[in-house]
Amino acid sequence: MPIIVNLDVMMAKRKMSLNELSEKVDLTLANLSILKTGKAKAMRFSTLEAICKVLECQPGDLLEFSE
Amino acid sequence: MMETKTRTEQILKVMRVLTWIAFIGYCIEAGAILFSYTLSYNNPEGARNFYNGLDLFDLREVSFWYYTQVVSFNVAVSIMKAYVFFLVIKIFTKIDLSDPFKMDLALRLEKISYVLFGLSIVGMISRGHTGYLLDITGVEYGLKFTGEFLFMAGLIFIISQIFKRGVELQSENDLTV
Repeated sequence: MPIIVNLDVMMAKRKMSLNELSEKVDLTLANLSILKTGKAKAMRFSTLEAICKVLECQPGDLLEFSE
Repeated sequence: MMETKTRTEQILKVMRVLTWIAFIGYCIEAGAILFSYTLSYNNPEGARNFYNGLDLFDLREVSFWYYTQVVSFNVAVSIMKAYVFFLVIKIFTKIDLSDPFKMDLALRLEKISYVLFGLSIVGMISRGHTGYLLDITGVEYGLKFTGEFLFMAGLIFIISQIFKRGVELQSENDLTV
């Protein structure tokens, strides 16, 4: 898929583990893993908002378009 | 809030039992026809009360070959009907009502429609054969199918395609975070 999710990069920048993020954004580890591995087909605005809030970043920092 | 809980689970439980009954019924029917045929091979009287009141004695006297053909159509139809119910039973054993939209089930539904299509083809050939025998013997011996199985096959095929779309949507939904 041409949309790349840079969740792992932002997590590394903020030095946050998947478990910690999962607790803070109230998402299951399985769902976060789907997002992190690029298997997700869609992302809710509410999820994006929660992740951006916790990681203190913009949606553009998490999502990237590449052909 | 509007009540949205359906009685699907109870209905499916009842249908499961009915499917088993129909499957066993058609197996018995096919077995009984084959058994009567085997008996009537040496004893023509066996063809008199063939199965469920079917009297093929006169036909057997006219030609054993025609008699065998009529029996073959009857057996083929019974076996195919039993197979359809066997596939439905397999669906019942595989289905998980909390997550029913699986590709496996969609493919099984599609398979049922193909078997029904095959059944309608056998039915049509049988009908032609019945007409042929009517010309020769003056009596109708075979099965009198119309297009009901073709209609059913088409209907199940459409449902299987809608089900497949449901599977796609379910997978999309599962991968929405």
